Amino acid sequence: MLPCNRFSTPTTRRSMLRNSACGIGQLALAAMLSQNASASPLTFDGPLSPKQPHFPPRAKRIIFLFMWGGPSHVDTFDPKPRLTLDDGKPLPDGISGRDQSKAGNLLGSPFRFAQHGESGTWISELFPCLSQQADRLCVIRSMHTEGSAHGEALLRLHTGQANLVRPSIGSWLSYGLGCESDNLPAYITISPPRGHGGVQNYGSAFLPAIHQGTAIGSAEIPIAKARVSNVGNTRIDSSLQRQQLDLIQSINRDHLRSSTEDQGIEGLIANYELAFRMQSNIPAVMSFEQETKETQELYGIGSEPTNNFGQQCLLARKFAEAGVRYIQVSTDYTWDHHKKLKEGLVEESAKVDRPISGLMTDLARRGLLEDTLVVWGAEFGRTPTAENTDGRNHHPQAFTMWLAGGGVKGGLTYGSTDEFGFKPVENPVHMHDLHATLLHGLGLDHKRLTYRYAGRDFRLTDVHGNVVHEIWA
Amino acid sequence: MLPHWKIVSLLVVLAMAVSSEVRADPQDGNEYFEKHIRTLFAKHCYQCHSKRAKEVEGGLLLDSRGGWLEGGESGLSVVAGNVDGSKLIQAVRYTDPSLQMPPIKPLHADEISHLEEWIRMGAPGPTDVDVTNLHDPSDPVAGKDHWAFKPISERRTFRLKTSTWATSPVDQFILDRLDKSNLYPVGDANPRELLRRVHFLLTGLPPSSDEIQNFLDDHERDALERVVDQLLASPQFGERWGRHWLDLARYADSNGLDENFLFREAWRYRNWVIAGVNEDVPFDRFVQEQIAGDLLPFDSMEQRDRQRIAAGFLVIGPKVLLGNNEKNQRMEVADEQIDTIGRAILGQTLGCARCHDHKFDPIPTSDYYAMAGIFASTSVMETRHMLGSQRAMERLEGLGPGGAIEDDAYERYWRELPELKNKKKLAESALVALKKMGDDGTSEPLAESRAGLAEAAQDATRKLSDRITAQGAFLAELSKAVDTPPKIPPRAMIPIDAKSPCDEHIRLAGQFDRLGSLVPRGALKVLKDDQPITIAVGESGRTSLAHWLTEERGRAGQLVARVQANRIWHHLLGFGLVRTVDNFGRTGEQPSHPELLDFLAQSLIDSNWSVKALIRQIVLSRTFSLSSQFDETNFAVDPDNRLLWRANRRRLDPESFRDALLTAAGQLDLRPMESSVSYLGDQATAVGANKVRRRTDFPCRSVYLPVIRNDLPELFQIFDFADPQSTTGSRPKTTVPTQGLFILNDSLVMDAAEATARRIMADIPSKDSDVRVDRMFEWILNTVATKAETDSLNDFLRMTHERLSAVESNGVSKDPEFRALAIACHALFASSRFQFLE
Repeated sequence: MLPCNRFSTPTTRRSMLRNSACGIGQLALAAMLSQNASASPLTFDGPLSPKQPHFPPRAKRIIFLFMWGGPSHVDTFDPKPRLTLDDGKPLPDGISGRDQSKAGNLLGSPFRFAQHGESGTWISELFPCLSQQADRLCVIRSMHTEGSAHGEALLRLHTGQANLVRPSIGSWLSYGLGCESDNLPAYITISPPRGHGGVQNYGSAFLPAIHQGTAIGSAEIPIAKARVSNVGNTRIDSSLQRQQLDLIQSINRDHLRSSTEDQGIEGLIANYELAFRMQSNIPAVMSFEQETKETQELYGIGSEPTNNFGQQCLLARKFAEAGVRYIQVSTDYTWDHHKKLKEGLVEESAKVDRPISGLMTDLARRGLLEDTLVVWGAEFGRTPTAENTDGRNHHPQAFTMWLAGGGVKGGLTYGSTDEFGFKPVENPVHMHDLHATLLHGLGLDHKRLTYRYAGRDFRLTDVHGNVVHEIWA
Repeated sequence: MLPHWKIVSLLVVLAMAVSSEVRADPQDGNEYFEKHIRTLFAKHCYQCHSKRAKEVEGGLLLDSRGGWLEGGESGLSVVAGNVDGSKLIQAVRYTDPSLQMPPIKPLHADEISHLEEWIRMGAPGPTDVDVTNLHDPSDPVAGKDHWAFKPISERRTFRLKTSTWATSPVDQFILDRLDKSNLYPVGDANPRELLRRVHFLLTGLPPSSDEIQNFLDDHERDALERVVDQLLASPQFGERWGRHWLDLARYADSNGLDENFLFREAWRYRNWVIAGVNEDVPFDRFVQEQIAGDLLPFDSMEQRDRQRIAAGFLVIGPKVLLGNNEKNQRMEVADEQIDTIGRAILGQTLGCARCHDHKFDPIPTSDYYAMAGIFASTSVMETRHMLGSQRAMERLEGLGPGGAIEDDAYERYWRELPELKNKKKLAESALVALKKMGDDGTSEPLAESRAGLAEAAQDATRKLSDRITAQGAFLAELSKAVDTPPKIPPRAMIPIDAKSPCDEHIRLAGQFDRLGSLVPRGALKVLKDDQPITIAVGESGRTSLAHWLTEERGRAGQLVARVQANRIWHHLLGFGLVRTVDNFGRTGEQPSHPELLDFLAQSLIDSNWSVKALIRQIVLSRTFSLSSQFDETNFAVDPDNRLLWRANRRRLDPESFRDALLTAAGQLDLRPMESSVSYLGDQATAVGANKVRRRTDFPCRSVYLPVIRNDLPELFQIFDFADPQSTTGSRPKTTVPTQGLFILNDSLVMDAAEATARRIMADIPSKDSDVRVDRMFEWILNTVATKAETDSLNDFLRMTHERLSAVESNGVSKDPEFRALAIACHALFASSRFQFLE
C-alpha cells in the first residue's frame, strides 16, 4: 500500500487494484462497474482514510472553543493583585519597552478571583460553572503571539501566518490523520467568522481541497438556522432524487465503459455516492432528536443566554462522537471589549460558561474526554491599561488559553506573566509553540508533518515551534 | 475470503478516496525516487555508476535523470515509461546471461519491482545537476547550466518512419518521442468531439447547434482552420484566455488577508487583460506594460491610462493592512510582487531567497534584494479615505484629462469632512445666538459663537434680520457641502515610482529591521549576460527590469518565452510539457519534449510574441485533434499519457461549467461587464454591521463575477477556481463531495435545468418525447443520443412524470410534464458527459 500522507497514486488506481493482495480491489471494481446503481463504492486509500500518527497520540481529536475578539486574561484566568492595587496609576516604566504615553492608566479588574478544585486553579467569578471543573483545566498563562489587529492575529491563530496564505491547523490535522468517519469531513467549523481572514482561517491553502474546513453557518447566524450548504434538495424529495441519481450514474457508467479507463469519470461516479451518503448523514448527526432533555439542559439549551452557544457545543460533541478530527466552535465577534469591559465580560461569559462546562461533563461521561482535547482561547488578550476609561485594548504580548481532556495535566497552571499581566515571564508559549504542542498531542511531529508546494516543504509552524512537554500528563 | 460485512465496511472506508486529485503529481515521482530508488542505487550501483565513482563503468551514470536516460556505452539505460524496453531492467532481471547487474548478486525481487514501477512512472528523479552534490546550489554562475537557463536550442530536422500522420512540426516532435517508445497515436477525435473541444478551449463556451451542423457539413480541408480563426477573433476568446492570465496575476476584487477591503477599481485591470488578449498585444509588450506601464511613453491620454491600468498588476496583491509597520509592509509588498513575477513570468520561486540563499536554485539573497530594491522604490500604497477614516490603502489615481483633479477633490472632501462638520456646528450655534439676540435684544453673540459667524453676519452695524439671513445662507451652504460628497471619480489602481528610489539592504533572515549589506538594484545574475542592467538616477528601475525580462536574445527573455509557451500548451493539451508550470527551477520537472518546448518558445518569439499565432499553430496540429480513446498497449507503457498518444480528457472549469449551463438555458448575456462589485461597501465581506455580500446572480459570463478573496462565489470555491491570493498556473483538480452536493442541489444548476426544460418545451410543443430527448442531448451535451440513451431517457421521463402526477393529486406538485423534463435536464448537466471534454 501507499505510505501515509500521500494523495496521488504513483501509478493508476486500476493497476494498483489489480495488484492489491486481498482482492478487495477487484471486488470493488466489479461492484463499481456493475449495473447496480446504488452499489458503486470506490476503492482506494483516500486522503481522508485514517492514517497512522508519527507516535502514539494523547488525543484523537480537538474541539477548539474560539472566543472571537479576545477576552481579557487579567479578568478571567490570570489574577493580578498589583494591577488592582495600582488601579489608575500609569504603567511603570520599563514594563512595556515602548512609549506608553498614549496608553491609558492601569485598570484593575472589577472581578473577584478565587482558587478552585483540589488544584487551587485561579478562576474569576465570571465562570462559576467552569470553576467546578477546575481540576480538568490546564491553564497556560504565558501565551503570546503577533498581530495587534484582529485580522492578523486570527490568521496567526488559525494558520500560523498572516502575510501568506497557509493551511489552517484543522486542515493540517485532516491531512495528517484523516477522518474516523466514512461519511463526514475531517474538519468542521461551527459558526466561523466571515471577517478577519474569513474562509482563510479554515482554508486548506495548498493542501488538497478535501482538507478544507466544512462550515456550518457563520458567526452572525444563530446556529439553529445554520446549514451546511447544499445538503438536501429543496425541490424534489429524496426518493425521486435517488431515481435521478440512478439516471446520472447510468449515463456516467456508459461513459466510463466506452472510455475503458478514466480516473476522472470513476472519481465522479464514486463522488456522487459519497455526496449522497453525506447528505443523509450530516443532518442525522446535527439533529438533537436523540438527545435527552437532561443533556440539552446540561448545555443550557432552551434557556438564555446560553441557548445558542449550548447548541454549538452539543453539535461539537456529536461531531466528535461521530469521528470528526477537528471541530471549531466560534462565538460571534463579541469579546472585543474596548469599552464597558465589565458589562461586556459579564454578558459574554454568561453565554458560554454553562455550555462549556456542560460539554466537558458530557464528554467525560461518554468516555470521550480522555481522547478529546478541548482548547479554549482567542487571537490575543487585552491590555492591563485602560482604553476609553472602562475598556481594554488588544494585547498580543500576553494572554491565557486553556486545554482540557485529551491527556493534558488537569489542574496545572503553566507559565506566568509579570505582575501587571503585560508580558510572559516564566515559560512563554508562542502561538507556534501551541500549534506544535497540539499536533504533538495528536501524535504528530510538527517538523515531520510537511507538504511540498512551490518547490519546498511547508509545515504549520514554518521554521518555529517548540513542543511544551510539561503540560502532558 | 473476508466475511461479507467486512468487505462492505472496507469499501465504505475506501470510498472516501474519491476525494483525491486524479492525476499523479510529478512531485510524487520525485518522492518515489527519493524513497525507493536513491537508496537502492546508492547501495548497489553508485560504486561504479556515479560521478563519485573512482572509475565510471561503461560510461553509465545513475546519479541524475540525464544520466540514466542517456545511458552508457553498451546502451544500458532507462526508457521512461517503458519497463520492458529499458535495458536496465533486462540487466537486473538476470534473464540474459551476457547482461547481468549488479554483477555479483541479483537484486531482491522487491527492489526490482520498485525499479519497474519507477520506470513506469517515467523514471523521475533529480535533474541533471544533482543538487546534493553541488558545492553551492545558489551559485548563479554554475547555475547557468540548468536546462531552463540555457539559450533556446536550434530546431532539429526529422527523419521519421511514419510521417503521414504528422501534419505539422509539432506533430513531428510528438511522433518522434512516441516512436522511440514504440507507442503510436490513437485515431482522431470525431468532428463533434473536436468542435466541442475547440470551442470550450478557445472561448469557454459550447458550440451552438448551427455551428455543429455547419462544421459537420463542411468538407473543405480548411474547415477547422476557419473555425479556429473565427474563434480566435471572437471577443469570447479574450474572456477565456484573459482569465488564464488573471489566474497568474492573482486577480481579485478585494484585498483578502486580515482586512478584506474592497478593490473597487480592480475590474479595470481585469478588462484591460481581456482586451489585451483579444487584441493579441505582443506578449513582451503585455509583460512590460504590467511591470512599468505607468513609466512608458504614450501618444494619447487613452494610451497613458491603458498602460497605467496595466501596471495595476503590481497593486492588486493581498497586503496585511492593519497594525503593520510601514517599513515591514514595504518589504512584504515587494516580496509579494517578486514572488508573483517570479512564478508567473519567469517560472522561478524567487521568494525562497528572501531569508537565505536559495536552497536549490541559483538565486542568492543578493539577487533577491537587487530586485527588492526596484519594488521597494515603487509605491503602491497611499493614505486615503476608507471605511470612515484615513488609512494606508492601495494607491489610486484619477483617469482621463481631469482625473488627477477629480481624485484630489474627492479625497480632499473626505479628509476635510471632520473640520467641515465642525464648522457647520459652530455656524449653527452662531445662528441660534443671532436669533436669540433678536428675540430678547441681548448683546452680541459670545466669542465662541462668533467663530461660526459668516463674514457678512459679523458686522454689528448691519440690520439684524440681514445678518440672520446671511448666516442662514452660510449655514445652508455648509450643510450642502457636508451632505453632498463628490461622486467617486473614475480611478484605477496604479503604482508610482517613489520620490527617492534607492538600493536596499539585504535583510538578515528576511526580517525588515535586520540590515545586511547594501545591494545595487538589478536583475538575476543567472539570467544576465555580463553587463548589469542600467537604472537611471531617480527611477525605480522597473522599465529596465521589464526590458530585461522580455529581451528576446537575453537569457531571461528566452526563459520567459519558454514559460509562456509551456503555459499555452498546458491550457490546450491538459498538461504542460513541463508539468510544474510555475516552477522551471531545479525542483521543478524537466520537459517531456525539450526540443518541442524550445521550438514553441522560438515560434512565439518569431511571431513577434503573438499568443494567438502560437495557439493557432498548436490547435491546428494533428496532436491536438487526437481522440481521447483508450489503448491497452499504449496505456501499459505510458499510463499518464506523458508522450501524448491520445488526448487528455478534461473536466470543465467552473467558469465553463456555469457559462455552458446558462447557454443551454438560453440565459447567458454575452455582453462584457464592468464592475460587478459597485454595490458593495468598503468592506468586501459581510462582517459585523456590514450585511452586504457579493452577488453572483448576474447573467454575465463567469469571468466578470466578483472575485472576493475569502468569499469567492460558491461555485468557484468548490470547483477549484484559482486561489486569488497567489499565482496559480495549474489549478488543482480535486474531486470532493461538496462538488457532488452542489451539482445535485444548488439552485444555480436546478434553475438552469428548469430554464432549459422550458426552452425545449417551447421549441417542441408536440410533446414528442423522442425529439425532446434529442434536443436535450444536442443543447446540453452537444451530441446525438444513441438509441439506448433515448430509450433510457424516455423511460426516466415517463416514470418521473407518473410519480409527480401521483404526488400532484395531493396538491403538492404542479406541471409534472415540465418538472420531469427539468429533472432530466438536471441529470444531463450532472453527468460526466457534460462535465468532461473528450
